[in-house]
Amino acid sequence: MDIFLTLIINGLSEGALIFLMASGLSIICGLMGVVNFSHGTLFIWGGYTFVWIYKMTNSFVLGILVAVISVFLLGIIFERFFVNKVYGNAPAQILITLGLQIIFTDLVRLFWGATPIAVGRPAYLAGTTIIGGVTIVHYRIFLIVVGLIVAFAVGYILNNSKAGMVIRAGVQRPDMVQALGINIKLYFTLVFAAGAALAGLGGALYAPLVGNVVSTAGAYNQILAFIVVVIGGLGNFVGTAKGCIFLGIMGSFVAWFAPPLAVVANVGLMAVVLALKPEGLFGTAVKK
Amino acid sequence: MKTLGKDIDRRGSIALIVLFIILLIVPKFSSYTSLNLFTRIYILSVYAMSYDILRGYTGFINLGHAAFFGGGAYIGGILFKQLQPTFPVFLLAIIVTVIYSSLGAYLMGKISLRKGGSVLTATMITLALGEIVRNTAEKWRSVTNGADGLTFEIPGFFQNRFAYYYVALIFLVVMAIALRKFIMSPAGRVLLAIRENEQRVEFLGYNVEKYKLISLQVAAIAGGLAGIMFGIFNRFANTELLSTNQTINALLYTLVGGTGTLYGGIVGSTVVNLFQNFLLNLRHIHPIFERWLIFSGALYVVVVLFMPKGIVGLWLQYFENKTRKKRKVLELEKSSSKQSV
Repeated sequence: MDIFLTLIINGLSEGALIFLMASGLSIICGLMGVVNFSHGTLFIWGGYTFVWIYKMTNSFVLGILVAVISVFLLGIIFERFFVNKVYGNAPAQILITLGLQIIFTDLVRLFWGATPIAVGRPAYLAGTTIIGGVTIVHYRIFLIVVGLIVAFAVGYILNNSKAGMVIRAGVQRPDMVQALGINIKLYFTLVFAAGAALAGLGGALYAPLVGNVVSTAGAYNQILAFIVVVIGGLGNFVGTAKGCIFLGIMGSFVAWFAPPLAVVANVGLMAVVLALKPEGLFGTAVKK
Repeated sequence: MKTLGKDIDRRGSIALIVLFIILLIVPKFSSYTSLNLFTRIYILSVYAMSYDILRGYTGFINLGHAAFFGGGAYIGGILFKQLQPTFPVFLLAIIVTVIYSSLGAYLMGKISLRKGGSVLTATMITLALGEIVRNTAEKWRSVTNGADGLTFEIPGFFQNRFAYYYVALIFLVVMAIALRKFIMSPAGRVLLAIRENEQRVEFLGYNVEKYKLISLQVAAIAGGLAGIMFGIFNRFANTELLSTNQTINALLYTLVGGTGTLYGGIVGSTVVNLFQNFLLNLRHIHPIFERWLIFSGALYVVVVLFMPKGIVGLWLQYFENKTRKKRKVLELEKSSSKQSV
């Protein structure tokens, strides 16, 4: 029984982490319809910037802040100069973001090297508590809390605020929204950058969990994020969140009971879901 | 857009024959390294063309194509290692690769080419299947030697680099002719039509899914054969050959050369490999030139933004404009002469 609780906590925290990555992708890919293959790069840029600042200043909070802000700026650059040239053209989007992914991943290797850089957790999040045989890692609880906060904040902004309304309207009829005197291009840039910033946050929080940061982590987590977005249903933010929990818990159980299948399980799950139910387990929100 | 002429005209065929003869003589005068470079380009050209059959003619982005290329290399390697490095085993490897590729492509197509699926879902499925193959190869240590890669002996005839240059050249010519025949065949024509207007082809009563599946299988078999040749060339196969990066290389070749032109694959792989080689030679000047990936990524972005038709596409467009202008001038002359009479 204890092992089940531990696995569920582990799974939930993995899910929260995937969620931070996938929520940005869900907004960019599902709402704006941009197939963003550079998301993994934004993720590791967040991770490396965090590690760099954290090692320099020894401040966890500052590291996270700088990581999020720098990746936000990177997102603005990506959108302004590259992605907005290819709106509505999915193959070109895939190609151009793949190109950005290759360049910026290799730039990371150029600046920080290809070998993993070890990083610890801050003292106030490092401990573990054992309650009746269940080991609770504090950092994992912290991840679950952050994931919940982000989920509710993004959900609230999308569904209840004026900005969210403009975004949802802009995705359906950009020309109409523009005609109402709203600068939809600026909104799109900011939405893309916000999605990027979420990826950066995910990268920054990922590094202390696994204990190091390495340039190949981006591609791996990007595949996970895509799996979740596709399973959850394109543009369906709640579906993405459910997909993350599902994938996280499944991942931790598979890793415990059938380790050789751990890598194939996620990808296999996506292939099965797409083959049988192409609109995702929870349905798409945006019909085009 | 014009893609391929009905027949190559006389001037074009003479130029091709001259080029072929030059390539036949080249090894006499070139160094060992450039010989290897050329051999590599020939094999990768076939790989690029195989990718173009799919991407250029049906618009389908397959991110798992390396599963066939690497699969071919692994099948060749495993058979040479388990049985013996002789010519009959090489033929056996070809047969096994053809079976593996067509079965794999059938499976991949059945899952990803479903009606109503978007470009994104199809792309993601192919990416997922490619990853499954790569992970399987990495985990199946007893046969594939895992992440360390598989080294193997090759048949004696192929060991001579000089001879292998010709083998690769003939391989390229044969595959180019075969793939061209495929594109010119009735099935290939339907593929062209699908690219131009999928809905209309469907209304005309063609089974679009079936034709896409055929093109996927042809592409997979050609890719697998190129994989065997590449494996023999390196005498080594590792999981890198199965990875998404390898697929992305093929994508880059066809992009630079021009998608949907078939020969664009040859041009693209030549240009990209020569460029890569040129940059690697510059590494004495500054170590940044060793980071080939940065430049290849930049090439991607530049080509997509400014040159979406690629080199061959631009070339064809230039000629199309020229003949159109000529025709216009002729028509003007005709009408003016009529008026004067």
